[in-house]
Amino acid sequence: MQGSADGQGGLPRPALAEGGHVFTSVFIAAISLALFWMAAFTLWWQMHAWRTPETLAATRFDRPDGGRESSFSLLLPARHEQAVLEHTIERLLESSHSGFEIIVIVGHDDPETAAVAERAAARDPHRVRVVVDTHEAKNKPKALNTALPHCTGEVVGVFDAEDQVHPELLTHVDHAFRTTGADVVQGGVQLINFHSSWYSLRNCLEYFFWFRSRLHLHAQKGFIPLGGNTVFVRTDVLREAGGWDQNCLAEDCDLGVRLSSVGKKVVVAYDSDMVTREETPGSLMSLLKQRTRWNQGFLQVYRKKDWRQLPTRGQRMLARYTLMTPFLQAFTGLIIPLNVGVALLLDVPVTIAFVTFLPLVTAMVTFVFEIVGLHDFGRQYGLRVRLTHYLKLIIGGPFYQVLLAGAAIRAVWREQRGRGDWELTSHVGAHLIREDVHA
Amino acid sequence: MTSTLPGVTTEQPTAVPAQPSHARGHRPERTDKRRLTVRPVIRFRRSRADLLLCGALLVAILLVQGWNIQHYPTLSDDEGTYLAQAWAVQEGKGLAHYTYWYDHPPLGWMQIAFLTWLPSLFSPEAMTVAPMRFAMLLVSAASAVFLYVLARRLWLPRWAAGLAMVLFGLSPLSVVLQREIFLDNIAVMWMLLAFCLAASPSRHLWHHFAAGLAAAVGVLTKETMLVVLPALLVTLWRHSHRDTRKFAVTGAITACVLVGLCYPLMALLKGELLPGGGHVSLWDGITYQMSRPGSGFVLDPGSGSYGVLQSWLYYDRVLPLGGIAGAVLLMVTLRWSVTARALAGPALAVVILTAVALRPSGYLPAMYVIQGLPFLALVLAGGAASVTHAILRRRRGPREGRTLTTVRWTVLAALAATALAVVVPRWYDGNHTALTADANAPYRQAASWMATEVPDPSRARVLVDDALWLDLVHAGYEPGLGAIWFYKADLDPAVTKTMPNGWRDLDYVVASPTVRRDARDLPKVRDALEHSTAVAVFGDGEDRIEIRRIAQGDGIADGNRIAGGDGR
Repeated sequence: MQGSADGQGGLPRPALAEGGHVFTSVFIAAISLALFWMAAFTLWWQMHAWRTPETLAATRFDRPDGGRESSFSLLLPARHEQAVLEHTIERLLESSHSGFEIIVIVGHDDPETAAVAERAAARDPHRVRVVVDTHEAKNKPKALNTALPHCTGEVVGVFDAEDQVHPELLTHVDHAFRTTGADVVQGGVQLINFHSSWYSLRNCLEYFFWFRSRLHLHAQKGFIPLGGNTVFVRTDVLREAGGWDQNCLAEDCDLGVRLSSVGKKVVVAYDSDMVTREETPGSLMSLLKQRTRWNQGFLQVYRKKDWRQLPTRGQRMLARYTLMTPFLQAFTGLIIPLNVGVALLLDVPVTIAFVTFLPLVTAMVTFVFEIVGLHDFGRQYGLRVRLTHYLKLIIGGPFYQVLLAGAAIRAVWREQRGRGDWELTSHVGAHLIREDVHA
Repeated sequence: MTSTLPGVTTEQPTAVPAQPSHARGHRPERTDKRRLTVRPVIRFRRSRADLLLCGALLVAILLVQGWNIQHYPTLSDDEGTYLAQAWAVQEGKGLAHYTYWYDHPPLGWMQIAFLTWLPSLFSPEAMTVAPMRFAMLLVSAASAVFLYVLARRLWLPRWAAGLAMVLFGLSPLSVVLQREIFLDNIAVMWMLLAFCLAASPSRHLWHHFAAGLAAAVGVLTKETMLVVLPALLVTLWRHSHRDTRKFAVTGAITACVLVGLCYPLMALLKGELLPGGGHVSLWDGITYQMSRPGSGFVLDPGSGSYGVLQSWLYYDRVLPLGGIAGAVLLMVTLRWSVTARALAGPALAVVILTAVALRPSGYLPAMYVIQGLPFLALVLAGGAASVTHAILRRRRGPREGRTLTTVRWTVLAALAATALAVVVPRWYDGNHTALTADANAPYRQAASWMATEVPDPSRARVLVDDALWLDLVHAGYEPGLGAIWFYKADLDPAVTKTMPNGWRDLDYVVASPTVRRDARDLPKVRDALEHSTAVAVFGDGEDRIEIRRIAQGDGIADGNRIAGGDGR
């Protein structure tokens, strides 16, 4: 058929119809659609807080009314962190709330950190205590469980040794417990040192979207993987749940999953003034290790199957999806470029080629929202975001994706080999130097 | 009052129920001011009065637009083009039955194909222009409802929203144009949907995102909708909240751009993005559209544009001129009038469209006004609301005397009566014609003649205009090279190639007004007209349709019919 009456006259790529090609087309289309829906859901959830102005307003802490009800036991596990610990304790002691104790947990094999902790306890013996963890192999959940019997407060709070905690935070959390009847309050945690490197920029932004937006959705849906610090649990609820899981690499996530699976009420609040400020891992390798540990932890939580007790099917789907996210993400990052390549180079019908572009489209939308998010992040924290940062964000995107994919693969590999030891992230205090930027 | 925070308590049971006005205690005055400017949300679906009014008006519009739709106005060549291409899509013949050459994005007639798909399944021969005009009623109905919703979302009072809907749906100009199978009507529907979403009372991020998607679909339906996008952006900006605006606006723009890019992507995937030997290209299509010869300054009585303008004003003066006046009024009173600020987006759309029409050397197609109709109607209704408000409320003290109140109402009644006296007779005449006249009898007779009087349609070659083409295809003529869009004989190499002997390879020309007009620039068509004699004439004067048989040496040249079936 030549001529134009058949309507396909000048097409250089004939539509394929034979068996093998049909199979290829259907296969590619199916994968593309699956990826599209995955990315679309992730995006939908990531943008949760900005859905409506009312949603955004509801993510903030309610303003305290001046009353006080709860007393706090603040757990501060510290390991080889003598450089930052003293500052953290001092800052915690500046808190405006009147009823709290700080329990510093140090290892029996870590005299330097123990010395710093003892000094602080000597200065303020009523509010600072030291508990020594004597476990042979140490990890954070063991340290926390060691301290749990010593807690006298009605609410247990967890912080890390390098955290900068806002003096008003406890008062706000107290108010949130009182007014909402919550069992758990999760405050915001934010990496601040976005200027340090290309990956810290993306890392900061990940935290921003997670604590600013996504966690609120989880709280609303009744399934939430808690964060590692700035998390507050009623002491009786925590004891009833048996504390933290010592064998889990993501004990924070696990605790959240276990508590929300039995219907405990979790409230999340994020205020840029009130977040706990942290730093990104100091090197690419330590970021990779940290991410591997989290991913492996997520895998462990998934395999523990506590989430199966969730009452509704939707919640279970959300749980399944959330815990699998790191692996899906890795998969997506590898497939998208492959897909576009297939669309452009292989001889597939135009409609199929269109479908293969769908995941790329959602990725682009995510990208644009990340850029806007970076702008908002700068605004919220009074930080100056320059053009180079936006460029870094864009150019760094694919490389960060490779890093995430690497961590996901590494996590699966380690879990298969049965390696469950902690690869601890070391901290240099980069966020402390910058603390006065906006305070 | 359902104004500010319905979501906090109902949708967020587990989150901290922060009172936003308190949450940011360190700058309460700014936040509070914002909250106070938010107006009561109108929930269209739950308001019985709105539903009743809108429903009643919709029935009236559908009756007026639907009655006699097949007979008036005259079938247009463009309707035939789009419907034929929709037919090609339905038949799986690609994006057009001749080579698709990127004249317009194909999304418009893909939608026509979708709309007419079900009826054409039940009766395939109904897939011709006149019967398929009924499909446009769906589009008109959707547009009219969207317009009402938009008017309410822009805080117009109920009566003004109804007025906008009446102006948009019942103006004789609208009735004539919205009956026709034009891409512009479909694009207007999408753009109105985009405006409705942009003005969503819940200010939801994904509503705004969807506004971008709908706008892109509108532009891909008819590319001239591009010029309305700034007005949409203004609406979106005004209706988004300060705290979420940057996400809403960038989201909408991203959605619009990404969907818009589908068109060049399609060209890229087909290998037709850039010009090259032996194939059409998007680049060439755009170059052609941009370089179309201008039709002159619209206010210059000698120009083609002036003629187009007069053809609009012949049907209705109130909507176009009143709408432009309304837009100017709203733009001038932007500082004082709340209505003017609410309608800033539609008013800007009118201003832009007017400015584009006033280009000294632009090309002004007859359907250009279609994309302005909803905005003209909105702005005119908004102007009326603004004037009414000024008459009844301006400088009214708390204890105003009855006399003054009576004066206010009397003035208003006088104004309303004058407006009705001006509008009603003209509209009655215009719509009376639309409901009773039969402008298409010659077309029907010509189609029927071609179906019954030609001995072997499947072997005959006929030049015909687009409006009649599908009738011939259903009568058994071969689509493309048997029944030929007359201008393809000169312009499409794939068709010209099958006519080595020029007019001698043809059997008939169906000379409609369009064919006679365009033949001046098409040598092969001109030859065919010159070397043929009328065998049947339907209608008279300028609008007549002649069926002309090509004069052959020995009657009909059998040997030349469909020059060698193997050639294709």
